[in-house]
Amino acid sequence: MGYEDTNTDNTITNEPFEFTGKASEYFSIWIVNVTLTILTLGIYSAWAKVRTNQYFYSNTLLDGASFRYTARPIQILKGRIIAFIVFMGYYASSLVSVKGTAISIVVIMLLVPAFVVMSMAFRMRNSVYRNVRFNFDKNYKRAYLVFSIPVLFIGTYLFLAAQIQTANTATPTVDPTLSILVLVLLLAIFLMVPWWEYMITQFKVVHGKFGDANFSFSATLKNYFAMYAKGYGLSILIFALLGIVMAIVIPMLSTKDAQNPMAGIMPGLVIVLILPVYLWIFAYFQTKRTNLIFGNLEVQGHKVKADLKTGYMMYLYLTNTLAIMLTIGLLMPWAKIRTVKYKASVMSIDIAGDLNQFITSQAEQQSALGEEIGEMFDMDLGF
Amino acid sequence: MIEGIFFDGETSTKKASVLHYDEQGYISFTDLDIEKIHINLIKISTRLANTPRYLNFPDGSLFETNNNDAIDEMVQTFKPSFFNGLLHSLESAKTVVIASIAIVVLSGWLLIKYGIPYFSNEIAAMVPADASKYMGQGVLDIMDKNWFEKTRLSAEKQAELRLLFKKLIKDIDGGENYKLEFRQGGVIQANAFALPNGTIVFTDELINLAANNMEVASIMLHEAGHLKHRHSLRSTVQQFSLAMFVMVISGDVSTSSSIVTAIPLMLVESGFSQEMESEADTFSLDYMLKHNISPKYFVTMMEKLEASYSDAYTKCLKESPKDVDKNKCIEKSIVAKKGSGDTKKITDYFSTHPNVKERIKRFREAS
Repeated sequence: MGYEDTNTDNTITNEPFEFTGKASEYFSIWIVNVTLTILTLGIYSAWAKVRTNQYFYSNTLLDGASFRYTARPIQILKGRIIAFIVFMGYYASSLVSVKGTAISIVVIMLLVPAFVVMSMAFRMRNSVYRNVRFNFDKNYKRAYLVFSIPVLFIGTYLFLAAQIQTANTATPTVDPTLSILVLVLLLAIFLMVPWWEYMITQFKVVHGKFGDANFSFSATLKNYFAMYAKGYGLSILIFALLGIVMAIVIPMLSTKDAQNPMAGIMPGLVIVLILPVYLWIFAYFQTKRTNLIFGNLEVQGHKVKADLKTGYMMYLYLTNTLAIMLTIGLLMPWAKIRTVKYKASVMSIDIAGDLNQFITSQAEQQSALGEEIGEMFDMDLGF
Repeated sequence: MIEGIFFDGETSTKKASVLHYDEQGYISFTDLDIEKIHINLIKISTRLANTPRYLNFPDGSLFETNNNDAIDEMVQTFKPSFFNGLLHSLESAKTVVIASIAIVVLSGWLLIKYGIPYFSNEIAAMVPADASKYMGQGVLDIMDKNWFEKTRLSAEKQAELRLLFKKLIKDIDGGENYKLEFRQGGVIQANAFALPNGTIVFTDELINLAANNMEVASIMLHEAGHLKHRHSLRSTVQQFSLAMFVMVISGDVSTSSSIVTAIPLMLVESGFSQEMESEADTFSLDYMLKHNISPKYFVTMMEKLEASYSDAYTKCLKESPKDVDKNKCIEKSIVAKKGSGDTKKITDYFSTHPNVKERIKRFREAS
């Protein structure tokens, strides 16, 4: 880390992000975290989370200064306790009746936009760089507007599909217009996914701030449609090829009776063939998404650049998965470090002049509730 | 002398600076026009591996430095405390790290093997019987709507079996709440299951497979074992605890595919399920031995049930004329099965039920 002052003229300089975390260091932190969490029956998990985040933030450097994570463990613990109760209520309701489960799912769905906003605000306001806090405008109205469109579509689809099923059991003949409507709706949902993702991502980015300065987002709807078109197209192609291979291989293996020793390896063979495809799709969307979000982010004329490669991400996922499986999870810290290291190494920022002009804004503390509940229900908050 | 960078708390302006402190613990900076301030008034972040340290001043300004050792020395001199860097010392001690690995692996294994089943059992036993009255009806309603049809068993057969069921549950503590239901299974095929509210459902297909009522009785007792041990409640609690455990341990697996947690989860869950099946078998076997019912009935019934799911059976039905006695095909499939090996397959570990051959062996040896 160099401590010399940065230049003040307006030329553009490209500053890389740098990640200085080490697998051995993080392994020690992680294993102590897990042990203390087990010994305290889960209570330490809040401290563990803060320590982990602090490690990753503080090891991320830009222009000679580090990022800082400032959430307090007690805030997170409170959120976790409430989330635990909600989670238990959900399980209890699933025991009593299907209706109870349905009601709790609907209630949780209705709260998702609020959780996303709270979670984003909590995460951003607890991130600091150069002693200036990141920030998030808590625009609940806009959040509900953005999220209501997909929920309405999917809700209508589920309702109609249920109608058809009941109609099906009552009378064997179904009103054809109803099934056509459902098909059209399903197709519409399929085609609209890129639009929703664009809307939601844009919502998350443009409400973000660094100090007083707003983030701007230059990705277009076209970018998102292109990402999905390529992703879906290539997956269909790969699955078609795979289908042909399987069609040739399977009869070869199962020509004889069930006692054929080759029959036993079939499930294994299927996994070996499917896993890379699945990983590719996963890596592709992960890579493009990150590139689209960060590569189009700008704050006060400083432009972030991101250039992740699908091939390398897939290689990381594959080797990480194998390493974690073969070591019953002990290489999880190593996997995380090398992934973050790679991501940081392909990201940089074009600085116009210098980064001295940001002004701190007064931010009140956020409740950890949203983030923790979001985490418990495994919602992908992306960003 | 500690080199670092200084931020004023108003803007992101970065100034390289050097921190000094005197014997009384007053802090000052080279090249910065800032009043001396005592160390007790500033908040110093705790050590975390080799990450930078942050000194937070009351006015919002901040000093960031990489010189961890110098900061440690300063803190130790002016604010000595047991908790200073306690976590860091734990994290950097090799013995602690190695002990931690042992603790995690051992306690993880103990928890999954004994802890979660034990606590789930206790919690399930704590739920009052009245509360479970409402559980399970919804499931039956859904199954009725989607798969089941009304039973086609004759009224006499039903009455016979109900009488038998009544006799059997008389000797089971809490058995007075158990109810018997018949349904035509359809795609569910020959099967029986117990719902948490005490309802035991038999499909016509299973009843028709049985050569006599005592074979049905052996299955009734198995299902009664599930009810007696409150297995559906227990498995819900187990799933919940397991989900919590995985969440706490894994924390973040986003760097790999979800297969990493999916496969072990499947293995553990089927392990739990197999354990409960064995428990229900034990209940059935104990009851039979106590009441002088031959365990052979369970053996023959299970053989037929297993055969009814086999490919050989479906094939036989297809090849035979329409009005053939289905039980002939069952017998044929049992014979075909007996010829095959006894080896345990990998897929057995992922199954919800223990290996059928081993279950049958237990009852055969007892008879």
